[in-house]
Amino acid sequence: MNDTVLALTLAAAVAAGTPLALAAIGELITERAGILNLGVEGMMLLGAVTAFLVGNATGDPWTAMLAGSAAGASLALAHAFASISLRANQIVSGLALVIFGTGLSTFLGRPVEGMPLPREARIPRVAITYLSDLPLIGRMLFTQDVVVYASWILAAATAFYLFRTRPGLSLRSVGESPATADVMGLRVNAIRYAHTIIGGVLCGGAGAYLMLARVPAWSQAATTNGIGFIAIALVVFASWKPWRALLGAYIFGLALRANFALQGAGVTFIPAEFLAMTPYLLTILVLVALSFSDLRKRAGAPEALGVPYAREER
Amino acid sequence: MTAPTRERASTAAHGRRRAPSTRLIALERRLHVRRWVYVAVPVLSVLLALAVGAVFLLLTGHNPLVVYRVMVQASFASTFGFADTLASATPLILTGLAALVSFRVKLWNIGAEGQLYIGAVLASGVALWLGELLPRPANIVAMLVAGALGGMLLVAIPALARAWLRTNEIITTLLLNAVALLFINWLIFGSRSFWRDPAAGQFPQGTRIPVAAEFPRFGTTRVHLGLVIALLAVAVVWFVLTRTRLGYRMRILGDSESAARYAGVPVRRMVLVVLLFSGALAGLAGAADVGGLSRRLDPNSLAIGMGYAGIIVAALARLNPGGVVLVAILLGGVRNAGTALQSLPERVPMEIAVMLEGAILLFALGSEVLVRYRIRWPWSAAPAVEGAGGGGPAGDDAASGPEGDLLAGGDGPDGPVGAADEREEGP
Repeated sequence: MNDTVLALTLAAAVAAGTPLALAAIGELITERAGILNLGVEGMMLLGAVTAFLVGNATGDPWTAMLAGSAAGASLALAHAFASISLRANQIVSGLALVIFGTGLSTFLGRPVEGMPLPREARIPRVAITYLSDLPLIGRMLFTQDVVVYASWILAAATAFYLFRTRPGLSLRSVGESPATADVMGLRVNAIRYAHTIIGGVLCGGAGAYLMLARVPAWSQAATTNGIGFIAIALVVFASWKPWRALLGAYIFGLALRANFALQGAGVTFIPAEFLAMTPYLLTILVLVALSFSDLRKRAGAPEALGVPYAREER
Repeated sequence: MTAPTRERASTAAHGRRRAPSTRLIALERRLHVRRWVYVAVPVLSVLLALAVGAVFLLLTGHNPLVVYRVMVQASFASTFGFADTLASATPLILTGLAALVSFRVKLWNIGAEGQLYIGAVLASGVALWLGELLPRPANIVAMLVAGALGGMLLVAIPALARAWLRTNEIITTLLLNAVALLFINWLIFGSRSFWRDPAAGQFPQGTRIPVAAEFPRFGTTRVHLGLVIALLAVAVVWFVLTRTRLGYRMRILGDSESAARYAGVPVRRMVLVVLLFSGALAGLAGAADVGGLSRRLDPNSLAIGMGYAGIIVAALARLNPGGVVLVAILLGGVRNAGTALQSLPERVPMEIAVMLEGAILLFALGSEVLVRYRIRWPWSAAPAVEGAGGGGPAGDDAASGPEGDLLAGGDGPDGPVGAADEREEGP
């Protein structure tokens, strides 16, 4: 594998990791509020098909991106209503989103299945002058599109928000101990609603980005292809920390792209399917490792994750 | 609790001061649930889901009434249509039971999808290996055993980790679905495995299993022996849950893990047994699909979300074995009708069926609240005193019958993701 192949592979890993990072940071914010939303795949698919339809109609990628985010947010709102207001089971509700989102996006996308997106509706690449000339790193990090650069700002902003601001502190306390937060005067349900919806915006946006920048045409089977589930895994893998989620997304992105590189390099003894399994298997390993109590203390899973809060019954 | 009152994200997030609590509605726990509520709620959720479906059908220029009439005609109005519905319902009964068994104990095995695939892999493997040598009954038994073993094999990893390390099983079972799918794709499309038909040229497919390993079908319909097996499984699950020590222990464990521990229930072993039982049922669904319908390991006909649909079945049936059969037939009909819709002149996309499934599940889940709680409107006579009716220990609450409360999130998953220890909740 020579230098160019390496640089191209790394650049591809960053590109493939970006939608993962967006979705994972969205899910991370939701989970920090104590809400487990397994519906990432459904929100991404609906975001992707909405972005395609809007992009096709308007020819403007940014309108399309916004529309996709809004679609993700509307599904997240349904999840929030079921799991916060109605105190329904979050696991089942999240899976319902996956099924509903898959069905709805295929239904809406059926007339345009396989149709390529018009050129002007694609998110353009922007090379950053000077920085993109750096050896290896330049190609990998600075010849991408605006959303990639925005994802770094997003990770930084999320980390700052979570750990350096008062609302972030409120958010974390709601995820750790809603009863205590309630006593402190925080509006637990409102905070949970807001952050579940923010999570939906990012997941829908991740699907939209995938559509507008990564895949050539809308196809229900190939657009997200399980990335939503990898994103859920990634949150655990990153132990609920934004920077780690970004880094983890690139590692998983590398795993998703590595088979092309390996084939290019003539390595064929590792089947593509097995490479594709690595993000999942890695996460299971991490989960098991986290179960040893010493590590868990440092891992940072929100204590009240998945547990509804009912003031009368605390 | 506050229903989604006016919420302003910005002030809410800052949350320095609580706005005066203005409640639109309040929820009160029902002390007694009338029987009709149990029937009315699932029916209501199906109707609401149909209404949502109608909105999207109208938006895309279809007439919902025509579409729904065709669906009923295709799935329920003719003998052959109904037979096809039963054939589609067969795996859903089994995956529904798989979800039911684990959800009853508040273990969240959502990996029935993957367990079904691996069950199909082992069942078809046994059929290809021994099918020519054995008589049909022996073949069928061997395939069923292999299928169940396959399901157990895949769930064993999350089950062992859950039982001994308290590793959260939600994420592990979910992720193994993806791994299992990649694995069967590799067996058929990515390698020259034992399962792949060497004669198949451009379009790889699984080798057809020997005739002596095929499950018999009833008459000329697609209904096969798997349906009988699924119904037997319903009886077995019902018997285990209500008439055995295992079922009794499952009930205790489902109500309270600490109570179970104090009562001397071997919690670890129970977790393992229940998850393996659940996985075996999902694996049987895979074996039945190979033996009765596809007759080869066929990733395309397996990966249609039968495992995920099982979760809908169990939820709509309110974790009732008998209810599973009815709901599975209903959903089987919805799925079956998808194909009929495409043959309409206007070509309604068959995915309307998947969408309806998801919507039914969402509404079933949402309307669960009507079973457990009474809604108190602000203008109703008695003021909704905070905590009125609630707060009673779940034990003496008629609303949380043997299966009633289990799908309520109130009893949430066992502990946080990634780390589950002595979860603390309640007073």
